[in-house]
Amino acid sequence: MNITRLTTDEQIMEAVKNGELQQASFLFDRYHKRIFNFLRQLSNDTMLAEDLTQNVFLRLIKYRNSYREGNRFQSWIYQMARNVFADHYQSNKNKAGNYVDVEKMSDHISDTEENPDEREQLLHRSLAKLSEEQRELLVLTRFQHLKYEEVATIMNTTVANIKVKVHRAIGKLREYYFELEKTN
Amino acid sequence: MICVDTDHGVGWVRLMEKEKLESLLIDYIDGNLSDADRAIAEKELTHNAEAVKLHAQLKEVMSLMDNAHSIEPSLSLRTNFEKSLREEITSKKKGFSTGTSLTTDKQIFFRPWVLRVAAGIILVIVGIVIGSKISEKRQHDQELASIKKELEDNKRMMIAMLENQQSASQRVMGATVAYDMKSADDEIVNALVKAMNEDPNTNVRLTALEALGKFYQQGHVRSKLIKSLSTQKDPVVQIALIRVLVQMKEKEVVNQLEKITRDGTVIKAVKDEAHSGILKLS
Repeated sequence: MNITRLTTDEQIMEAVKNGELQQASFLFDRYHKRIFNFLRQLSNDTMLAEDLTQNVFLRLIKYRNSYREGNRFQSWIYQMARNVFADHYQSNKNKAGNYVDVEKMSDHISDTEENPDEREQLLHRSLAKLSEEQRELLVLTRFQHLKYEEVATIMNTTVANIKVKVHRAIGKLREYYFELEKTN
Repeated sequence: MICVDTDHGVGWVRLMEKEKLESLLIDYIDGNLSDADRAIAEKELTHNAEAVKLHAQLKEVMSLMDNAHSIEPSLSLRTNFEKSLREEITSKKKGFSTGTSLTTDKQIFFRPWVLRVAAGIILVIVGIVIGSKISEKRQHDQELASIKKELEDNKRMMIAMLENQQSASQRVMGATVAYDMKSADDEIVNALVKAMNEDPNTNVRLTALEALGKFYQQGHVRSKLIKSLSTQKDPVVQIALIRVLVQMKEKEVVNQLEKITRDGTVIKAVKDEAHSGILKLS
């Protein structure tokens, strides 16, 4: 199969499923940065995000037969990334009470991220204060720019439900952001 | 929640819930409102200072999120991926999946040791099933042999009773035992025919006939009964035999029945039965 810019993700994934494993490198090219940033924004740990991204693409190859023809590839890979993330924190749940250590996360953001913008640092610190679900919803819809319909598919719920939750999460984020701004 | 517009200095209370207002403004910023809802949002932004403040704050955080920087992963991510891909391609050519660095490998079933354990379990199960079937068959065969022996014993007893020249009641009982059997082989049929045609006792002959009538669907029984009609001299047995043959709808006997009606040595009751039989069979 000759891959061009016009070849859809789904067509490439079908080729991978049919044994053309080498074509998976095109999907890696298209998605590795997005998946890495998605996992980094969820975990706020760059090294961990790289390891988890590696696992996502390994799963893509290993479980290629579980991809169903006609399904949107993007939803499938984000779903896999969520599973990889959940599995990681499930296996480490005895080490940490919650998915993300908020204090460590906030420090980590301000100390290590290559982000000179103070306002964005403040945003990430506010984001860290949200619940895990709210943070994930905002990462998917605002940072990753996925549509509500797609997030609803990934999270197996309705669009209306996603919309309500996203709006509440934005409201909460706004509160935390301007509270932190006052204290700075 | 109720919003108070302090900027107007009049403390007038807005009834719109803050969450609803916030949601409206988020959709307004995203450009997701219908004309009517956009008009409502713009009216709020014109008259409600709280809405103006909320709008500014929401716009800032939403804009920050939408334009957040993404960073490049290290080159090792690509290097490691390509290495894993090569390994997978190689293992695919060999015909199995390696499992590489995944901690939860769902293709675990294809690992050789798992296959060996699975094969072992399957063999044990198959062994148990076959053993059980053999045991069942052996038990079944034993039961069958026991039933056959019992039937054979009954047959011998029945024939011995039919041939008991000392006791007519024993011979009647022998014919009754035959009647109770589900089927009759040649040996039983011959014994019954002999009793029907030759036994000196009428009751024995009638009981034997009754037993034979029960087995009339067996071809050789029919022919014996038809043949007996020409030789039978006992009027009681003749009448009974005619009734059985008519019941069997045996049209072959019509000629014999006509012959009986013309026979001067046959009593009237038998002739009447023969007439009746002819009418029913014609």
